[in-house]
Amino acid sequence: MSALALFFLVLGLGLIAWLSARMRAARFRVGNTARFSSLPAHHGWYVALWTAIPPLLFLVGWSMVAPALVTDTVLASPAAVQLPPPGFDRASILSEARSLAEGRSFGAFHELARVLSPVYAAAQSRYDWIATALALLLTFAGGAFAFLRVRPGFGARTRVERIVMILLLGASLIAILTTVGIVASLLYESARFFSIVPITDFLFGTHWSPQVVDARDPGASLGAVPLFWGTFFIGAVIAMIVAIPFGLMSAIYLTQYAAPTTRKWMKPILEVLAGVPTVVYGYFAALTVAPAVRDFAVWIGISWASSESALAAGLVMGIMIIPFVSSMADDSIAAVPSSMRDGSLAMGATSSETIRRVLLPAALPGVVGGVLLAVSRAIGETMIVVMAASGVATLTLNPFASTTTVTKQIVDLLTGEAEFDSAKTLAAFALGLTLFVVTLLLNIVALTVVKRYREAYE
Amino acid sequence: MNSVTPFIGTPDATASAKPATARVPTDWTTKAMQSRIRRRYAAERRFRLAGLAAVWLSAGFLAFLLSSMLWQGASGFVETRVALPIDFAAAALPIEPARLTSRGADLALASAGLEGAVDSAATRAFGKDGEGLLSDGAWVTVRDALKADPGLLSRKTVIAVPVASPVDMAAKGDGPPEAEAVVARLKARGVLTRGLSMTFLTTADSTDATRVGIWGAFKGSLLTMIVTLLLAFPIGVLSALYLEEYAPKNRWTDLIEVSINNLAAVPSIIFGLLGLAVFLGTFGMPRSAPLVGGLTLALMTMPVIVIAGRNAIKAVPPSIRDAALGIGASPVQVVFHHVLPLALPGILTGTIIGMARALGETAPLLMIGMRAFIAAPPSGLRDPATVLPVQIFLWSDQVSRGFIEKTSAAIIVLLVFLLAMNGVAIYLRNKFETRW
Repeated sequence: MSALALFFLVLGLGLIAWLSARMRAARFRVGNTARFSSLPAHHGWYVALWTAIPPLLFLVGWSMVAPALVTDTVLASPAAVQLPPPGFDRASILSEARSLAEGRSFGAFHELARVLSPVYAAAQSRYDWIATALALLLTFAGGAFAFLRVRPGFGARTRVERIVMILLLGASLIAILTTVGIVASLLYESARFFSIVPITDFLFGTHWSPQVVDARDPGASLGAVPLFWGTFFIGAVIAMIVAIPFGLMSAIYLTQYAAPTTRKWMKPILEVLAGVPTVVYGYFAALTVAPAVRDFAVWIGISWASSESALAAGLVMGIMIIPFVSSMADDSIAAVPSSMRDGSLAMGATSSETIRRVLLPAALPGVVGGVLLAVSRAIGETMIVVMAASGVATLTLNPFASTTTVTKQIVDLLTGEAEFDSAKTLAAFALGLTLFVVTLLLNIVALTVVKRYREAYE
Repeated sequence: MNSVTPFIGTPDATASAKPATARVPTDWTTKAMQSRIRRRYAAERRFRLAGLAAVWLSAGFLAFLLSSMLWQGASGFVETRVALPIDFAAAALPIEPARLTSRGADLALASAGLEGAVDSAATRAFGKDGEGLLSDGAWVTVRDALKADPGLLSRKTVIAVPVASPVDMAAKGDGPPEAEAVVARLKARGVLTRGLSMTFLTTADSTDATRVGIWGAFKGSLLTMIVTLLLAFPIGVLSALYLEEYAPKNRWTDLIEVSINNLAAVPSIIFGLLGLAVFLGTFGMPRSAPLVGGLTLALMTMPVIVIAGRNAIKAVPPSIRDAALGIGASPVQVVFHHVLPLALPGILTGTIIGMARALGETAPLLMIGMRAFIAAPPSGLRDPATVLPVQIFLWSDQVSRGFIEKTSAAIIVLLVFLLAMNGVAIYLRNKFETRW
């Protein structure tokens, strides 16, 4: 029986258990005025959980060991004597036999695979039957055990609620598990990379050309400084030159000047900018903005301007970040106590003077925190730079020259055809680790700044 | 006026040395003062205008972005067809009409040389370059017409078939000069028509711009989103409930909170690296499968749902909990019978917004190999598939001009879905939001 069918069978049996236990518990109440600790549904859940959870856990465990058991049986069969010694050939024959046995392919490359496939199918079906029998045994044993405990005085509720609490705790532990998974996988692959390339070469080298990695000195062409510079230049300089004035001024206008109806309509419209998928921005940057920027550069006399300039990617990224900066600035201006604003206005200052001399200086920490968060968003942004920035790493201050970024290089390195553990692909994980650490630090600093500032006015 | 308050006036040394009588109130009618006020008011107007300009320019960017996509993409839904006279009786395809209604009709027609028959009909009708006039998929249209009406096999008929990509572009006013000449000739004969391209809505990727379709990527997106929703929603809601209602204040809870807040801010490409190293590398799951894509996006969406869920749960007033506890409900009953149903609209709004973000996400899916050329819609969670944003990315890399309008058309489809999801979220928020 297939795992999926077994899964639904167990669930169905669980449902039956729920209904029957609930009926049994409900019958206690007929003509009985005593106080019960549990509702009939609690008894139902108690029995259903005992019916379904043990076999499901068993199936999960079984699915991990079963392939090895099946392979062992096949290897012990007489036909397996002809198999080559453990290695690539043996594995490929075995996997071919398995796909033949499962009906996923029809022709075999190795003759031996054809011979082994019936053995495989037989072993597979035998273990499937064992699994089904064991799972059903567990189902009925658990169900019977729990069903016999359904009595008027039995505290099914406390037991069911304990399981619910375990479930809740387990769900929230997944967040920690994800974080640990990210850190561990990045660290592990980066450690492998740094065993090939010295960490100082990677962090301080100024030459990046992963297309031609010299096997004797791989560090010479894997220096990431140009990438760090390109990322900083596009994400933290050009994008912010666009996003800060636009975001800040729109926030000021919408909170201080605009009529309530204007605010009600314009705020969601600006937020749509943040909801547009980044691949759309990337397409827009590559198709519309980049040629325009190049034409402009040629027009002002830079004939060698790249059609994949840092400026095009940075401009579009800045537009994408506008609503982010705007909403952070909005929050921090709103957090300034109104007494400060009223005091300034009462002294005869105009609105703009109040905003520039009183509100903005008071809100500055919040705004700076918001900008730092925006920078962390911008340097982690991938699709715009993948589609609009170039792959050539240069150390340049010229916005019309081609520049590349960390995220663009991660995508380029991992979507090539190189094998998984070459210095090239491992470099992507080292870049990912750097990106992770930098965005993490930026976020922590930004959130601390914002939090301090909020507390100052509370 | 003899008494003067020391607060007003210039704090220069001579003034403070003199008796108080020297200080006169500011005369606002003097020329200097008037011009100063004018300057200040002008600055005020400039500042206000700058703010207005920032708002309008930002909205203008959005309008420009959307309208340029609409402008380029609208024609992607339309195909140009040419009326092709075809004489099946003369072509004498070696096939019995009865087979056309059976299940193997597609294969039978292909092996009976239908494609060649269509090409020779084109040569007869439009001259020796007639064959290049038609799209590579033209014979598929003829095949479908034959299947719909097997009687055609013994007749002469005229079928409107899609034209090749350069001719299509020329008919839409943006093609190479030689194709423009061909279009002018065909227009004079009155054989060109336009219509909604069903090919675009029902097929998957292809190497020919006139044969590409969005359905394969759409189905891939759908399967991926189902996996994401099934994982991220229950886990997110349960974590939010735990953290908001039950979690004791200790170091472990702090750790969970910190990691959720950090995960919400981690760049999406990092999740792609996680998926590549863990799901593909360690667990050996299949590449470019919706299952892996959904798992990766679920990890990314879960923190968004947790944060939205916690805010929604926090908004449920404590009096509800107290009342339920007061009449004897257990803590679990309080939460599952009262708090959760009341917080659900808020949680759903957050979930839809998180799912919309996941639907538009590209970078992590590139990492787990969802950038392969896949010419058939996926039929299961483990089949190789692609998703809408990745399809857009792949088409944007194509050099052929016909792909520009197809890319923009795919973007329109994606944006329509995102706007619809956000619209539903806003509607839910407005309809069910309770101010306590």
